[in-house]
Amino acid sequence: MTSHLLSAIVFLPLAGAAVCALVPSARASRALALVTSGMVLALTVWLVAAFDPHAGMQFVERARWIPQIGSEYHLGVDGMSLPMLALSALLSVLAVVASWNVAERPKTYFALLMLLEVGMNGVFVALDFVLFYVFWELVLVPMYFLIAWWGGPRRQYASLKFFLYTLFGSVFMLVGIIALYLHPAGGTLDMVALAGRGFPERFQMWVFAAFFLGFAVKVPVFPLHTWLPDAHVEAPTAASVLLAGILLKMGTYGFIRAALPILPEASRAWAPVVAALAAISIVYGAALAFAQTDLKKLVAYSSVSHMGFVMLGIAAGTPEGISGAVAVMFSHGVVTGMLFLLVGMVYERTHTRMIEDVSGLSVQVPVAGGLLAFASFASLGLPGLSGFVGEFLSLLGAWKSALVPSGWVIVSAVGVLLAAAYMLTMVQRVVLGEPSEAVAGIADLTLREIGVLVPLAALTLTVGVWWDSLLRYVAPAAAELAQKVMGS
Amino acid sequence: MTELAVLVPEALVLVGALAALFAERLPGGDRTGARLGAALTFAAALSAAAIGVTRPIAGGTLAYDAIARDARVAVSALTALYLLWLSGSSIERTREMAAFAQFAALGGMLMASAQDLATLFIAIELGTMPAYVMMGYERSDARALEGSLKYYLLSMTTSLVMLYGFSLLFGLSGTTRFDHAGALSPEGLLGSFAIVFALSGMFAKLSAAPFHFWTPDAYAGAPASAVAFVSTVPKIAGVAALLRLSAALSAGDLLPLYFGAAALASMLLGNFGAYPQRDVRRLMAYSGIAHSGYVLLALGAGSASALAYAIIYAVPSFAVMVVASEEGTAIDDWGGLVQRRPAVAWALVVLLLSLVGVPPMAGFFGKVAVFGAALDAGRTALVVVAVVMSVVSAGYYFKLIRQAFFGQAVLIASEERVRPGWTSGLTIGIATAATLLLAVVLASAGALSLPGVGG
Repeated sequence: MTSHLLSAIVFLPLAGAAVCALVPSARASRALALVTSGMVLALTVWLVAAFDPHAGMQFVERARWIPQIGSEYHLGVDGMSLPMLALSALLSVLAVVASWNVAERPKTYFALLMLLEVGMNGVFVALDFVLFYVFWELVLVPMYFLIAWWGGPRRQYASLKFFLYTLFGSVFMLVGIIALYLHPAGGTLDMVALAGRGFPERFQMWVFAAFFLGFAVKVPVFPLHTWLPDAHVEAPTAASVLLAGILLKMGTYGFIRAALPILPEASRAWAPVVAALAAISIVYGAALAFAQTDLKKLVAYSSVSHMGFVMLGIAAGTPEGISGAVAVMFSHGVVTGMLFLLVGMVYERTHTRMIEDVSGLSVQVPVAGGLLAFASFASLGLPGLSGFVGEFLSLLGAWKSALVPSGWVIVSAVGVLLAAAYMLTMVQRVVLGEPSEAVAGIADLTLREIGVLVPLAALTLTVGVWWDSLLRYVAPAAAELAQKVMGS
Repeated sequence: MTELAVLVPEALVLVGALAALFAERLPGGDRTGARLGAALTFAAALSAAAIGVTRPIAGGTLAYDAIARDARVAVSALTALYLLWLSGSSIERTREMAAFAQFAALGGMLMASAQDLATLFIAIELGTMPAYVMMGYERSDARALEGSLKYYLLSMTTSLVMLYGFSLLFGLSGTTRFDHAGALSPEGLLGSFAIVFALSGMFAKLSAAPFHFWTPDAYAGAPASAVAFVSTVPKIAGVAALLRLSAALSAGDLLPLYFGAAALASMLLGNFGAYPQRDVRRLMAYSGIAHSGYVLLALGAGSASALAYAIIYAVPSFAVMVVASEEGTAIDDWGGLVQRRPAVAWALVVLLLSLVGVPPMAGFFGKVAVFGAALDAGRTALVVVAVVMSVVSAGYYFKLIRQAFFGQAVLIASEERVRPGWTSGLTIGIATAATLLLAVVLASAGALSLPGVGG
C-alpha cells in the first residue's frame, strides 16, 4: 500500500481541483477541498509514522516517463523533504479552513488552492529534474491567479511581478539543468545519480550561478527580494500563508536538494558570497521590517530576514548549519503562517492593517492578542519556541564552518537583536495599551479561527521544547549532505 | 510500397481542395466543402503517420524521412483542425477558404519532403499563393486588401531573391539535388552570395529578422481567421524545408554565423516589438518573429528539434488567433471573456503559458529541446538571450490573460466578430488538449530527443 503513497499525496489534490471546479455548488467545492487536503494530511501523517530517519531515501517510486529526453517519473523522500512535505500538507488544510468565507468565485478559488498543493507537494518529492521543474513552475499559475483575482488593490501589478521574477530565475535554473544533462559526466536527469558525478569545478561554478538565480529569487535573497513584499501585501490571507510557508521554502530546498549535493565544490567556492548575501538579507530585512507601518509588510520583511538564516546555514555546509537551515524553514513556515493568519483575521474585523490604527488587542480580543504575542515571540526566536532552535543551529553551524567568514556570522547575529526589537515594538503597540477606535467593538476569534491557529501554536511549542521531534528526521540527512559538501 | 502510394496524403488533400472548389454543387453547399475537407485532411494526417518513414520517390526529388513524416502529419492535422473550425463558423464563402487552405497545405506537405531546389521552389509557391488570397479574403475591406497586397509584394520579392540564390547554387554546383554528396556547397564569394540569398528568402518566409517588417502589417490587415492558418501551417513546412536545405548547404563558418545573427535579431526584435501592441494580430505577428528566432537557434545547431518547436508553437498560436477572430482583434475586446466563455478563457491560459514555455505545457518541452540543442552546440550566450527573452514574452502574453480575466467587458468589438459555432469550442478544446499532451506525444515519437546524449 505504501508503494504509491507519494503519488497519492501529490496527485490527490489534482483530482480534488478538477472536482472542485466542476461541482455545482460553492459549499460543496469548499467541503471537497477540505476533504481532499484532509486526506492528503492523513496520508502524510502515515508517511511520517512509517518513515525511518536513518534509511536515507524512502518510498521511492520509479517509472518510465519520457525516455527520449531521459526523464523518469521518480519520487522519494528523505529527512530533508519530509518536514517540508508535512508542512505543505498541514498548511494546505489550514489555508482551506482559513478561506472558508471566500464569497467571490469560491469554486475557482478552491480549485486553485488544490492545484497549488499539487505543485508544492510535488517539488518536495520529485527526484527527476524535469519532474522537479514541472512542479516548480506549476506553483506559479495558481498563485498568480490567487493574487490577481482575490488580492488587494494593486493585485495586478503584484501578481505579474511575482510571476515574472520567479520565471526569470527558474528559466536560468532550467539552463543549468540542461547543462548538467548534456555534460559528458552527467547524462541523466536523476537528481540522486547526479550527486555523485564529480563535475569539473569551473563547470560547477557556472551551473551553480544558474541555479542560484532560480533558487535565490524564490527564497528570496537580497537583492532579488523586491517581489515579495508586493506579493504578500496584495495576496489574500491563505495565499500569503502558503507563499511564506511553502513557496519560499522551495527556494532553500532547491539549494539543499540540487545545488549542494550535485555541485559541492561550487557550493564551497560560492559559500562566502552566499553567506554575505544571507547576512545582508537578515539585517536589511529586519531593518525594513522595523520601519513598516503596515502589519502585513512587517511580517513580509521579517520573512526576508528569517530566510537569511536558512541561507546562512546552507552556506555553512556543516551538519549543524544544514540541520539549522531545515529547522528554520519548518519553524518559519509554522510561525509566519500563524502571523499572516492573525493579521488577516484582525484585518477582516478592523479593515486596517496599519499598526498605528490597531492597538489594545489583548483588552478587546484577548485570544487574538494572546496568540499574536505568542507568534511574535516565536518569530523573534525566544528559547522554548520553535524559532530559536533553527536560528541557534544556523549561527552555530556558520560559526564552526570554515567556509563562512566569521564577520558575516556576527552581522547575522545582530539580526536576532533587531528581530527582537521590531517584534517587541509591534507587540507593544498592537497587543498592549488601550483599544483603538478600529479595535473597539470587534469580536474575538471564532472557534473555526482558533481551530486553525491551535495546531500551529502546538507545533511551535512542541518543536521549541522537544527539539528532537524535528531534528531526529533532519539530522542524519543533514550529516550525510554535509559529508558530501565538505568531504569531496 | 509503390511510389504513388506514398503520395496518398497529398492526394487526399488535393481531392478535398477540388471538392471544396466545387462545393456549390454538393448537397449542403458551402459547409460541406469544409466538412469534407476536414475529414479528408484528417485522413491525410492518419495516412501520413501510417506511411511513416520510407525511401525517396520521384527520382529522389522527394524524401520521406522522419522530418517529412512529422511535418506532413502536423501540417495536415492542423489544416484539418482549421477546416473543422471553418465548417461551423459564420464566415461567408467558406468553400473558398477551405479550398485555398487545402491547396496551401498541399504545398506545405510537398515543401516538407522536397530535396531538390526546383521542387522546393514550386512547393513553396504552391504553399504561399493560396495564402495571398486568404489574407485578402475580405475584399470589400480596404485594409484587408492593403494587407494582402503587402503580403503578396513582399512575399514575391523574397521568392525572387530566393530563386536567384537557388539559380546561383545550381550554376555553381551543377545540381539541384540536396542529396548528392557535398553537391550544394559552392565556395568563394559567389558561393556565399548564393547561400545568403537562398537562406534570406527562406528566412523571410518564416518572418525571421531582419526580413520581418512585412509581417505585423500584413497580419493586421487580414481577417484573424486567415491569420490563424497563414501564420502557422506554412511555417511548419518552412522549418522542415529549411532544415533539409541547411543540412545540404555547407559554407564553413558562414552558416552558423548567419543563423546565429538572425536568431538573435528575431528574438530581440520580436519580443520587444510585441510589447507595445494593442492588436492581437500584431502582437502574435511579433511573437511569431520571436519564435522564429528560437527555431533558428535550433536550426543553427543543426538540430531537428527546430521542427518539433515549430509544431509546438503553431498549435497554440493557431488557437489564440481563432479566439481572436471570435472575440475581436483588439486586446481590449477580450475584456470579460471569463464571464462570457469561461472554458475558452481557461484554455487561453494553457495556450499562452505554452507559448511562454511554462511546464507542463508543450512549449516547455520545445524550449528544453531548443536550449539543449544550442547549449550542446556551444552557443551559451545566445541561450542566455533566449532565456531572458522568454521571460519578456511572458509580459506581453499576460496582457492577453489579464484582459480576458480581469478586463472590463466591451459591448462593441473593434471589428466584426466571427460568431462562434459549435465547432469552435471543439477546435479550441482539441488544440488545448494537444498543447498539454503534444510534448509527450512528440517525445515518444523521438522528435524531441535532447542532443548529446542518446536516449
